[in-house]
Amino acid sequence: MTQTEKLGKEGEIWAVGGGKGGTGKTFITSSIGTYLAQKGRRVILVDMDIGGANLHSFFGIDRPARSLTSFFETGAALSDLAVRTEIESMSLITGDIHSLSAENIKFSQKLKLFRQIMKLNAQNVIIDLGAGSHGNTLDTFLIADRMIIVIAPEIIAIENMYHFVKAALFRQVKKSLKEYGLKEIVQHVWDRRERYGVKNVKDLIDYLKDAYPYFGAILDRELGHFRLHLVLNMVRSGQDIQLGAAIKSVLMKYLGVPVHFSGYVMYDDTVWRSVRDRKPFMRNYLSTGTAKEIETLVENIVLARDVTVPGGMS
Amino acid sequence: MTRTDLRKSYEILELPDSASLREVQNAYLRLRKLYAGSSVALAPLEEEFSENTRRKILQQVEDAYDKLRSALNGERTNAKAGGAGERGDTVPELDRLEEIVYSGPVLRKIRERVNLNENAVFQELKIRTELLRALEEERFEVLPQVVYLKGHLQSIARLLGLQPDRVVEDYLRRYRDWKDDRGKE
Repeated sequence: MTQTEKLGKEGEIWAVGGGKGGTGKTFITSSIGTYLAQKGRRVILVDMDIGGANLHSFFGIDRPARSLTSFFETGAALSDLAVRTEIESMSLITGDIHSLSAENIKFSQKLKLFRQIMKLNAQNVIIDLGAGSHGNTLDTFLIADRMIIVIAPEIIAIENMYHFVKAALFRQVKKSLKEYGLKEIVQHVWDRRERYGVKNVKDLIDYLKDAYPYFGAILDRELGHFRLHLVLNMVRSGQDIQLGAAIKSVLMKYLGVPVHFSGYVMYDDTVWRSVRDRKPFMRNYLSTGTAKEIETLVENIVLARDVTVPGGMS
Repeated sequence: MTRTDLRKSYEILELPDSASLREVQNAYLRLRKLYAGSSVALAPLEEEFSENTRRKILQQVEDAYDKLRSALNGERTNAKAGGAGERGDTVPELDRLEEIVYSGPVLRKIRERVNLNENAVFQELKIRTELLRALEEERFEVLPQVVYLKGHLQSIARLLGLQPDRVVEDYLRRYRDWKDDRGKE
């Protein structure tokens, strides 16, 4: 196996979400992409932050010639919309759509978009999701082979992320059972959750498994794919890193979701400076520390591994 | 104990099957601190998940630690059937998390439970063994001034995964009660 092959199989879709805006999702997306491309992988970045797209400006592209607008408005093929970046083997599909927000995408368009994303000619397709927990954002998250969530160590970001994960999990449960014609039951129980003693999505899953034993096997199989890779950005202290480990624990114990704490990125002024100068970080500006942190977190995502958390007793 | 039991215990402590006793202890302390305390990681979910959930998690962590500790310690308790005596050293606070008073003897109990001997405390915190003993035995007359004592209590609390504020508050209340009593004599 070559080093490039070690970084994943052909056509892997990675989605970067997490609920709150301003936690650095776009920075993490561009850095992951750049790292993989520099390792020889063919990478396509897709900016799905519809209405707030800015991934292109991270690569010094002012006004992209093509964007997802053409896909939605004139039916252009997704693969024709990729523009080159200054990094070889990485291109970018920008989402510079001022006229649309994520809610406005029609169902049929969404399915078509997902089909075409899956067919993109790349070894890694990396999707930058917008903020919020809207259905279309969640659905995009759920098609990914690697579900990455980016948070900052502050309470609002953590709160929004929990909301995002719960919403995604609920949607996955519905989606899983829908394929067996059982979608209505999920909504039925949820709408009458007080009567069923269901307080949260974990209770819901437990209730469904209990009440309908054959759901258990379906849910176990379908939810087996739901695995989160947590990235903590804008870290300023060892205590912040411990918080990352705590969040992983809470997600696993309270929501019953498998989680890897893949890595963290220390707060770094050079990141801010390179955004201002519109330069891709990995090539021009990333301090060695940050570049190393990106490398670690990407490798951990690939291998579904956890980062070593410093601290504790010696 | 079965292998499935062991694996499950490692899973609860969020560790790989290969983790050492020290790693098990660290994970135990970390998780107990998280689920017994008030972490930012927990706060946003507190409304929809009941206090009961939290207690259940704490109990699982406690049980997992019990199992792994005896397994990794060479299973000395194996010979004793029944296991009635095995839980004799359980930290009382689990049952009444809010009511526990961090007295000297309770601190010792917790310390022994996480297999930290006096020497380890000295290594970690540079607290001399004589002082630690006096503190745990509540021989208040030989303890240093409150300002120093407070610092020691805080670092011991942190080492044991307890909330420093509560430990200091409880312990110093006992200290002051003793002082008041002495004043009356």
